Amino acid sequence: MARSGNKAAVVLCMDVGSAMSNSLPGEESPFELAKKVMTMFVQRQVFAESRDEIALVLFGTDGTENALAGKDQYQNITVHRHLMLPDFDLLEDIERKIQPGSQQADFLDALIVCMDVIQQETVGKKFEKRHIEVFTDLSSPFSKDQLDVIIHNLKKFGISLQFFLPFPVGKEDGTGDRGDGNSRSDHHGPSFPLKGITEQQKEGIRMVKKVMMSLEGEDGLDEIYSFSESLRQLCVFKKIEKRSIPWSCTLTIGSSLFIKIVAYKSIIQERVKKSWTVVDARTLKKEDLQKETVYCLNDDNETEVPKEDTIQGFRYGSDIVPFSKVDEEHMKYKSEGKCFSILGFCRSSQVHRRYFMGNQVLKVFAAKDDEAAAVALSSLIHALDELDMVAIVRYAYDRRAHPQVGAALPYIKDAYECLIYVQLPFMEDLRQYMFSSLKNNKKYIPTEAQLNAAEALIDSMSLVKKDEKEDTIEDLFPTSKIPNPQFQRLFQCLLHRALHPQEPLPPIQQHILNMLDPPTEVTAKCQILLSKIKTVFPLTEVIKKKDQVTAQNIFQDNHEEGPTSKKLKTEEGEACFSISSLAEGSVTSVGSVNPAENFRFLVRQKKASFEEASGQLINHIEQFLDTNETPYFMKSMDCITVFREEAIQFSEEQRFNDFLKALREKVEMKQLNHFWEIVVQDGITLITKDEAPGSSITAEEAKKFLAPKENPNEDTAAIFAEGGDVDDLLDLI
Amino acid sequence: MSGWESYYKNEGDEEEEQEEGLEAGGEYTYSGRDSLIFLVDGSRAMFESQGEVELTPFDMSIQCIQSVYTNKIISSDQDLLAVVFYGTEKDKNSVNFKNIYVLQELDNPGAKRVLELDQFKGEQGKKHFQDLIGHGSDYSLSEVLWVCANLFSDVQVKMSHKRIMLFTNEDDPHGNDSAKASRARTKAGDLRDTGIFLDLMHLRKRGGFDISLFYRDIISTAEDEDLGVHFEESSKLEDLLRKVRAKETRKRMLCRLKLKLSKDIALTVSMYNMVQKAVKPPPVRLYRETNEPVKSKTRTFNVNTGSLLLPSDTKRSQNYGSRQIVLEKEETEELKRFDEPGLILIGFKPLILLKKHHYLRPSLFVYPEESLVNGSSTLFSALLTKCLEKEVMAVCRYTPRRNIPPYFVALLPQEEELDEQKIQVTPPGFQLVFLPYADDKRKVPFTEKVMANPEQIDKMKAIVQKLRFNYSDSFENPVLQQHFRNLEALALDLMEPEQAVDLTLPKIEAIDKRLGSLVNEFKELVYPPDYNPEGKVPKRKQDDEGSGSKRPKMELSEEDLKAHVSKGTLGKLTVPVLKEACRVYGLRGGLKKQELLDTLTKHFQN
Repeated sequence: MARSGNKAAVVLCMDVGSAMSNSLPGEESPFELAKKVMTMFVQRQVFAESRDEIALVLFGTDGTENALAGKDQYQNITVHRHLMLPDFDLLEDIERKIQPGSQQADFLDALIVCMDVIQQETVGKKFEKRHIEVFTDLSSPFSKDQLDVIIHNLKKFGISLQFFLPFPVGKEDGTGDRGDGNSRSDHHGPSFPLKGITEQQKEGIRMVKKVMMSLEGEDGLDEIYSFSESLRQLCVFKKIEKRSIPWSCTLTIGSSLFIKIVAYKSIIQERVKKSWTVVDARTLKKEDLQKETVYCLNDDNETEVPKEDTIQGFRYGSDIVPFSKVDEEHMKYKSEGKCFSILGFCRSSQVHRRYFMGNQVLKVFAAKDDEAAAVALSSLIHALDELDMVAIVRYAYDRRAHPQVGAALPYIKDAYECLIYVQLPFMEDLRQYMFSSLKNNKKYIPTEAQLNAAEALIDSMSLVKKDEKEDTIEDLFPTSKIPNPQFQRLFQCLLHRALHPQEPLPPIQQHILNMLDPPTEVTAKCQILLSKIKTVFPLTEVIKKKDQVTAQNIFQDNHEEGPTSKKLKTEEGEACFSISSLAEGSVTSVGSVNPAENFRFLVRQKKASFEEASGQLINHIEQFLDTNETPYFMKSMDCITVFREEAIQFSEEQRFNDFLKALREKVEMKQLNHFWEIVVQDGITLITKDEAPGSSITAEEAKKFLAPKENPNEDTAAIFAEGGDVDDLLDLI
Repeated sequence: MSGWESYYKNEGDEEEEQEEGLEAGGEYTYSGRDSLIFLVDGSRAMFESQGEVELTPFDMSIQCIQSVYTNKIISSDQDLLAVVFYGTEKDKNSVNFKNIYVLQELDNPGAKRVLELDQFKGEQGKKHFQDLIGHGSDYSLSEVLWVCANLFSDVQVKMSHKRIMLFTNEDDPHGNDSAKASRARTKAGDLRDTGIFLDLMHLRKRGGFDISLFYRDIISTAEDEDLGVHFEESSKLEDLLRKVRAKETRKRMLCRLKLKLSKDIALTVSMYNMVQKAVKPPPVRLYRETNEPVKSKTRTFNVNTGSLLLPSDTKRSQNYGSRQIVLEKEETEELKRFDEPGLILIGFKPLILLKKHHYLRPSLFVYPEESLVNGSSTLFSALLTKCLEKEVMAVCRYTPRRNIPPYFVALLPQEEELDEQKIQVTPPGFQLVFLPYADDKRKVPFTEKVMANPEQIDKMKAIVQKLRFNYSDSFENPVLQQHFRNLEALALDLMEPEQAVDLTLPKIEAIDKRLGSLVNEFKELVYPPDYNPEGKVPKRKQDDEGSGSKRPKMELSEEDLKAHVSKGTLGKLTVPVLKEACRVYGLRGGLKKQELLDTLTKHFQN
């Protein structure tokens, strides 16, 4: 839970000076990159409905607009937006309104303007944090006259600072000019050519470092980021992250040993905060919709009964027991209120990780500013650690919460020590399933060669780098540093739709996809060994079969009479599964595996009437469409094509035309427009009189049949106009 | 290709969905129900105890069955259970075979059935059995199995899994009648062919129970249950219970997925939930007059026109400030889509890199699925063996279903473990651990570290050692247990529900006694003399008083009561509520419900 009280005031300070637009061909300019980073930051704030307020100060602008501006002072600095809640206007401004300027301005002057904004505009409002983020390439000259005043005031008013630069900055040497820049693990993504750093920029880097050092010491240097780095790790904006609410309680052992503690949620799945509201498709108002739940008896007439005439009950096995809310409340388990009581201690090996339950991990510390409690808890933590034991604890959050039983594990770090609390299952939560031993079945025991291949693969796909000298291992893929892509994707789509309501949703950003994939050095290394695996373990042949069988399984319930003979055949392990072998078999109905082929076979061999076979085929097509999945659309297309061909052959054009008309209606009803677009794309229309004499449809009518209706979906129609092809359409789905 | 896997909808999926807050609502849609017949030998030998304190084999069986009944009521009340005695004197079955007594036909477990079983427990139960049913001298196992098969076929609903558990301590029932023995074998074979599993729960017999004499040919081993071992005979109730528990539930997989080593190398695995939070089942709505369940229908209509709306007539929207953002329902799903369902292998890491406190949600169990891709098991087994050997875990990207954003997971290798009873306690496979994203970690303001000195630590060690116990069995959930006790009381018209024992409460007295003077010694070492570790409020005292008086508070207003009286619905209130009402109005009501009702009615009618 984030506390609502701690608001932050943030000033984004962006250099729009002339040099910011310079870039090598094929690379984005620092100006564009800075905008991207800012967008990402503001976007998170807007969608999280954070109460932090944000101002935007630009420097290097053609005009001047700030409270400090004098005759020669603070020129070309514009307060673009005063301190207020961020909104879409701000995002829109960042995307469209901010233009590169043709001037240059002193970034230290800009910093003073920012501080002035914070000071003037936070008067009378309560902010827990004040923060300035500067985006610049440092190529403008500056004067250090006021440096001491700046640092003094930043400290005095508790303003924190972060710098975002187009290039990475090293810690050790003062210039940031590090030749090849190898020592930093910043080897992918666009980065400014370090060679191109001017003397002025070097001067600027020294100044930035000086400022940060004097504010936060060594750590201050960690608050200087490169643009590409911030794009990759979206969580660099840690200055304003929210904290957990403390939960105070007393740890008890027996009736008289107490230790005052405070616990915080340390790991809990972060979820999307805001849910979707259902609105009327035409008016877009939710007030126009009403949801109504009615209750009815289980009789033939489904007689409705008013809600007041219903009561609450519970199943107790076969019995249904009337049990009103009031009674339930009275009789239910009553907890004794919050507690963290130790039930006993056991060896840590008895608490398996696979039994961890619940949705959170708590870190338990001694109460704040209570040295006695800290010592008491510390003795418990160290006692457990040294004995390799854990505490079994009864934990209840408060009087209303259900009590849990969990384990408290000792956790000792350099800076702090605490107990880690995780819930354990109740008896009712455990499921004891048994599985065959993998060792007893001779069929599944891998050979020596197979084991070696597996071992080699594991070695080649190692995600760690061992440093033999220092005996340390570096994690090349620290998953807990990767932000959940879900949020970024949601925000991207929301923002895109807000700014471009008519356009389809954008594709997932490449840097998000990259973030989720293994490091390229690992993928490169393991290719050979993967192909080795492929040869040593026979798997590939069967995958084909798998799809066949699964398709059958999916629709099993729908057609019990399904072609069992075929199934048997495939399960006998006939790897080459050809249509001809199918036809030789006794196909008696249209199955879902190869419906088009079955259908053709049935009607040609006269095993079934055209009416019957087409009926079965249509059923399958409808099932496929109901899945709303692209591969099924392609399968349906095959069916429809074959249906059309055979209908012409057998002079059953009327049947096909009726089907296609019905299909169009159905597609409209079920909003399967993208499917219909495939039909249109393939030009499958009604059978005309030219093709079959029995038809009354003219070529003109057939063409019209495929033409979009009066009220087509604008987006997709637009794509057609641009001559998109099927692949594009599929991407939209 | 598409994600076929997403079509393997089963209950597991639903559970998962509920877990994720998408209330699936109401009852499960089973593809069929599990059914289980308890077949209990009623011969005299079953009633002879081996020692003074030991339970008789029959008593053990009944207690075990009753425990399964109550568990089923909590965990899966749709399953069908039956109890059949054989080797009895009297007979009761649809085909009038001798010496076979069907006590309970296949039906959902309910309160009355639990009570009925209760009567067969203990010394009194033995007498009850002898009075009611009696021991017979003769029976034919093939007839017994015939009766069981009939029970299955009499059931109208679709059954997904049929199982018989045979409780006996006679290892050679037809020792001197080879015709009967061979008929039993044939019948057992028939059952197997019709998909009925027969498990032997063999009990302690003097001289040992020899499976090879007769039962080896009778019991069935399903292909996926071939554990290669047979259980030892059970002489203790706990052993028997564990054996029965292990067999009683059918494995239900969550889903089958591809585990992709690369773009073109994939094996299939199935996922299982080995821990799953058991929750109070959702309430059902009943019609007040008849107490029959009602169906609910939800529909959406347009306020202005009153016309019903199809899902396609609506869109989804979110407001930020004054800005409304509208998406199609499909788009709100689509934006959650990253990968096709499956596990994508990223690479391997040493096990030590998995931080113990990086826990996000309950783990899953991963086992190879041979039925979809032949060869999966071999590759799986090779990876498992090598991961165990090299002490590494596989890091994967996991997408359980379409339109679910991916999570990173670690597959921890897990070696098979059996206990001394040859019951599998740890299955072989991978344990799937969810890894947190950066967003899931919270920064915690930690308290300054103040280290305890070795003397203090040693004192605490002594305390820890004193309170050492074996954490092998989990605790019962007191909330659930109380809920079901209440229901049981109401279902059986008991006056007061049995209070569930809350095993999660610390055994304060025992702890104090064990610790003795250690507590004070520790406190002297750690706490300053004037320090009060309990803080400002002596909370426990208050709470004790609060929970001590288990009196329900009067929450019904006078109007409510009057309304009940005039509508004649007062009887729907429970006894405690009625009692409380009487107390509030200073009435002397008596103890029986009817007396209370009369008193209140009289009071309000005047």
